[in-house]
Amino acid sequence: MTLSELIEPVQAEILINSPDFSQRRVNCVVASDLMSDVLVAAHDDFLLVTSLASDQMIRTADLVGAAAVLVVNGKRLPDSAMQMAGKLGITLLRTSLPKYEACVAIGHAAKEQP
Amino acid sequence: MNRLPDLSPDKSPLSLVELIYGTPIKEVMSADPVTLDRKASMRRAQELMRDKGITGIPVAEDGRLYGIVSIHDLIRAMQIEKLDTTVEDLMTSKVVTLEEAMPLSMAISYFGKYSYGRFPVMNSQQLLTGIITVRDINVTLINRLMQEVTRYEAMLDNDVKPGLSITRVFHTRRHDFEHGGRASTAIKQHLVEHNLDRRLIKKVAIASYELEMNQVVHSIGGTISFKVTPESVEILVQDRGPGIENVEAALTEGFTTAADWIKSLGFGAGLGLPNAKRVSDEFFIHSQIGVGTTVKAIIYLKSKETER
Repeated sequence: MTLSELIEPVQAEILINSPDFSQRRVNCVVASDLMSDVLVAAHDDFLLVTSLASDQMIRTADLVGAAAVLVVNGKRLPDSAMQMAGKLGITLLRTSLPKYEACVAIGHAAKEQP
Repeated sequence: MNRLPDLSPDKSPLSLVELIYGTPIKEVMSADPVTLDRKASMRRAQELMRDKGITGIPVAEDGRLYGIVSIHDLIRAMQIEKLDTTVEDLMTSKVVTLEEAMPLSMAISYFGKYSYGRFPVMNSQQLLTGIITVRDINVTLINRLMQEVTRYEAMLDNDVKPGLSITRVFHTRRHDFEHGGRASTAIKQHLVEHNLDRRLIKKVAIASYELEMNQVVHSIGGTISFKVTPESVEILVQDRGPGIENVEAALTEGFTTAADWIKSLGFGAGLGLPNAKRVSDEFFIHSQIGVGTTVKAIIYLKSKETER
């Protein structure tokens, strides 16, 4: 599914919009709050679902080529994290859903895809 | 007199930094030095210096070091006409020594700090195993320099993608999470700009980031350097301590010494070193308590196996 198709199921706010937002595809989802786990994720173009709202999470996502970061629990992000996402061209989304519920909602939406 | 240039890691070329901080004294010293027994005469010291062409002789028995007779001690003995006195009486008994495992940088700084012409080198059991002089250092440096220059000259003949090859050094500070990761982001962007294979870039990014954040989390600060050539990316991280107590344990997944507040930032899960090692084609780690940790990770850019 594309990034834009993700918005509705989790009622995400778009905090930072990368240039290729509407076409960028998400091939898989990685849900973690551990940098090392994210780094181990061997996939490309994944969506990172996390409750860690920090600069480092954005940096980590960029380093391994994540398509976007979805911050759960409606966490507030530091300005520096927003700036970094903008600079690195990473789409940054936020949902008020908890991590598990967000993942389930994305899972359902993915199944309904043709 | 010529002054020694500033050899701090951030001010020197990477290959030099690697050489002087990464080479143990053991590889530079002259092993099995000529020694004198305590009861030997100063005349014997004089003969040995003349025959062997040396200017200082450790006084040692069965590896245990008692002192050193230098050419200055000998001149003094000649002045007071005491060449038949035992070396024990006229040697310098307060001796500054170095250890085999210390980096060459330590020897260089000792020669700057003290006016001695040589330092006895001890092993970990505090037994004398060698002696190091400025000459030993010169010979090593010239040899290595020749190898490096030969390598660079050979590289100039290859058709190198313009601008890909770079050497860069970054600094990290203890618990500076705000800037930690900067080096890895910069090197990743450099590789992206040169259209390298995405999987290779990812390997470099992972190794670099894990090693960089390890320094931020665990060390008191250090440097992370990159040497990019068409063949490989070499990541060299060096910190100033405190050193890893058990390197083998640190390479085990899940082993961690990180504090809880660091874990709450998403770091310190005990995967850093194993992760960095997993993605590297060559991985070397050396650590000494009180001195610091050096890790070298190499990722081949021309390897056929680029999965992961």
